[in-house]
Amino acid sequence: MMDLHLEALYPGRFDRSEILRYAMMPASQTPPETLPLEECLAMVGSGFACHAVWRVFPVRREEDALDLTFTRVASVSLRRWMEGSESAALFAVTAGVEMERLILRAKAVSPLHGLLMHAIGAERVEAACDELCSRIAARMPEYDLCPRFSPGYGDLPLAIQQEIFRALDCQRLLGLTLTREMLMQPGKSVTGIIGLRRREKP
Amino acid sequence: MSLRELMHNGILYLDGGMGTLLQAGGMEPGEAPERWGLQHPDQITVIHRSYFDAGSHLVLANTFGCSPLKYDADTLEKMVGNAVACARKAAEESTSSQEKYVALDIGPTGQLLKPFGPLPFEEAVSAFAQVVRIGVSHGVDCIFIETMNDSYETKAAVLAAKENADCPVLVSNAYGADGKLMTGAPPEAMVAMLEGLGVDALGVNCSLGPDSLRDVVMRYLKTASIPVLMKPNAGLPVVENGITRYPMEPERFAELMAPLIQEGLRIVGGCCGTTPAYIRALRQKTGRLQPPPLTEKTETLVSSRSRCIRFEDRPLLIGERINPTGKKRFKQALMEGDIPYILSEGIAQEERGADLLDVNVGIPDIDEEAMLTCVVEELQAITDLPLQLDTANPAAMAQALRRYNGKAMINSVNGREEVMEAVFPLARKYGGVLVALTLDEHGIPDTAQGRLAIAKKILQQAEAFGIQRKDLVFDPLTMTVSTDGRAALTTLEAVRLIREETGCATVLGVSNISFGLPAREVIGHSFFLMALQAGLSAAIMNPKSDAMMGAYHSFLALSNLDENCASYVAFASGLPAMQAVSGTPDRKKPDAPQGEKGLRYAVTKGLKLEASRYAADALAAGADPMALVNQEILPALDDVGRGFEEKTVFLPQLMMSAEAAESAFGEIKRCARSGTRQSHRCTIVLATVRGDVHDIGKNIVRLLLENYGFDVRDLGRDVPPETIVDEVKALHAPICGLSALMTTTVPAMEETIQRLHNEAPWCRIMVGGAVLTASYAERIHADAYAKDAMAAVRCAERLEQASAEVREDGER
Repeated sequence: MMDLHLEALYPGRFDRSEILRYAMMPASQTPPETLPLEECLAMVGSGFACHAVWRVFPVRREEDALDLTFTRVASVSLRRWMEGSESAALFAVTAGVEMERLILRAKAVSPLHGLLMHAIGAERVEAACDELCSRIAARMPEYDLCPRFSPGYGDLPLAIQQEIFRALDCQRLLGLTLTREMLMQPGKSVTGIIGLRRREKP
Repeated sequence: MSLRELMHNGILYLDGGMGTLLQAGGMEPGEAPERWGLQHPDQITVIHRSYFDAGSHLVLANTFGCSPLKYDADTLEKMVGNAVACARKAAEESTSSQEKYVALDIGPTGQLLKPFGPLPFEEAVSAFAQVVRIGVSHGVDCIFIETMNDSYETKAAVLAAKENADCPVLVSNAYGADGKLMTGAPPEAMVAMLEGLGVDALGVNCSLGPDSLRDVVMRYLKTASIPVLMKPNAGLPVVENGITRYPMEPERFAELMAPLIQEGLRIVGGCCGTTPAYIRALRQKTGRLQPPPLTEKTETLVSSRSRCIRFEDRPLLIGERINPTGKKRFKQALMEGDIPYILSEGIAQEERGADLLDVNVGIPDIDEEAMLTCVVEELQAITDLPLQLDTANPAAMAQALRRYNGKAMINSVNGREEVMEAVFPLARKYGGVLVALTLDEHGIPDTAQGRLAIAKKILQQAEAFGIQRKDLVFDPLTMTVSTDGRAALTTLEAVRLIREETGCATVLGVSNISFGLPAREVIGHSFFLMALQAGLSAAIMNPKSDAMMGAYHSFLALSNLDENCASYVAFASGLPAMQAVSGTPDRKKPDAPQGEKGLRYAVTKGLKLEASRYAADALAAGADPMALVNQEILPALDDVGRGFEEKTVFLPQLMMSAEAAESAFGEIKRCARSGTRQSHRCTIVLATVRGDVHDIGKNIVRLLLENYGFDVRDLGRDVPPETIVDEVKALHAPICGLSALMTTTVPAMEETIQRLHNEAPWCRIMVGGAVLTASYAERIHADAYAKDAMAAVRCAERLEQASAEVREDGER
């Protein structure tokens, strides 16, 4: 419990329909043949790595709040979301400065390339989150994982980012920084909380 | 012994971790040590003293987190003053016999620098400078910059230290398990940059234990000519009962450090998890060791944010295309500030195999200082290639070198006294590899011996100035062979001579050879081959030329520098002739025009290359440019726009059409004499508001607005309200478009709107962005809300109309 885990994540195969969805093209549509998606994917490469840090904290339910050990929050939506969880995995995942560079580079080619690279960045970091969740699940076989919940969802304030950054040492371990506006840099980054429910014995 | 003598002649012992000891002393986790130290000076002194007692020569004052980005000036002054006083007191109180010194400790700001984050480089420099000045006023013995995981922020801190302090500057970076900084620099790149900046010692701290950091330290020792430092953690942490613990014992820690000292490591201490016991163990284990003497490394290195390039591994290719000389399109891009065009030249050369990029933006009537700096900053954001800064303007060179993230090539210096006087100080301050042209007050010597003599003169003066031999690369100058039959032979002979007699690397701008001759590439690539054979180290050339690249890859294969001819084969498979043989279609080549599918079709379908070709063909056949715009392009855009609104066409398709239209407009602009693209539409100032760096949506809006003929002034992202207001006033713009993606940046939008209403009451404001809704927009007093890019066009048309009516009313 509470060990700080640092992971390199390789999300592998691209989910093209997910990328198009992030680029505002519904999955039901066939993309135009001349869309430079493959060109952008080649710039990223399937070996692209994301990095993550995570840590499990005990959770105590109080009357109107949740004590997450690293902080206490009065969020109704998180409290409901974490119903039945006795602990939670706190995580941060980032596609790093390399993805920022790729986005800037794509923008220099054309606004469309920029849009597509943004979409690819979003898909990569989300896929890395999925990969991280399955690793956490494998590491904690006696628990069921709730879907991840991020600052800004429901009534969970963005300001909690500061506590998350401290609890996970994001700046030192991932090179992640937080602006006054609570914006994470590099931009393709996700933080969140995953409720852990002890699995009932069969 | 002085601090400098200590680290040059023996082993300099540093202190160990602070955090664990502070918490043992009662500091709560999460509390800022510098703030806690202000209230508990005695406990800070006790910790420092225990390190001195254990044998540390140099302790770091408790100033790691002190930054004007976190504290006001008074607090900062008190914190730094208190921290330095505590360390001084500890030095006086400690009874151990070694020399004792106090360092000003400087850690990262916690903000990522532009372009990947929000903090401008110069703001980082001045933030660090403020702390350095306070530290110096309290008499610190040296500046210790540590735990930096970004090369650019490291450079900002070093400049602040060098510009505000005379004492030694030691620099330590934090590496990931992959042996790189978080922003990508390998150890060699850091050595190249930091030695260039003139630091006194460099190395690594934190992140990992002495075992895992061994390889990184060995790479430092192999590359660096100055003392190397290491301040690792006590292994990897484990958490037991909620408490983080570092399991590596002091003796084990010392055992792992000792062999590195025998390899040349000479400044040692500990980071997270280490205590005075570790320093004591380290002294006991290594106190009698003598690291081998420092040796001057002679390799010529250049670097970028993420790459270090070594001369002499193989000949290097320096792309020459970012240069306006003889290039009409490039000149136009410079005059219009068309940065994307310049960047695309960089990307294309990188894709064709350039190792470095020459950057020259010198045209008459341009602010070269601003332009060169801007292009360097933009280029280094998107390419890993090191840059060669090419200007005769010393102010432009100084500014671009300052902002360069790495060790650049400086093009150029020559044997003229006044040029050496202007350029050498820049190389000395910022580092860099000088391209030295073998000419002087008397011109270019006709003989190879004459050019060698100038090279020797430059070398001698550079060394007297403190610039090392390895940081000079000589260019014995390619002269046109059509005017002098001996030109090539003289140059090649000079390449050979300079190499033999000075040991320095050489470079040539090879394209010059063919001026005034037909089929320039034919003779050009032959000369290139001859120069390579003569031992040329690097060529400034056009990587987009198949003939030149063919000569290069052939040379590597024929000189046993290309294992299994792999790079030759890869190059050859991309040649048009090979593609014709294998039947691979050239994907850049558009399909043949089909009669019924004209310009309107190409724009509707988003076929960029076809669109520009249809436009060019039609214009060449005498078509009226206005008719092309009004009967082909605009109707196509309207169709696509309507489809987007009806959700039969989606954003990527809308953008493809917009880009196709843009390329057709480009042709029309080029072919028509002037003013064809109707610009009777009004001016719109566009920006993403302060604090917000999202600009994809705003860029899409700009593209569409330009398609529809609006004159867009795009201020970019993270733009302060006053900049937007000033621009609207300066242009008397009737419309301003603002974008914000986050709830936390909407207040900045609201402030901007308020100031615009007050100071530019004529201007109508439209807003958009993910978090906004029509009612939210109304609440912050925007005049209009656009839910997407098409809506922004409709909105702008409406506001333009309204503003024209108001004007007419006023005139009546």
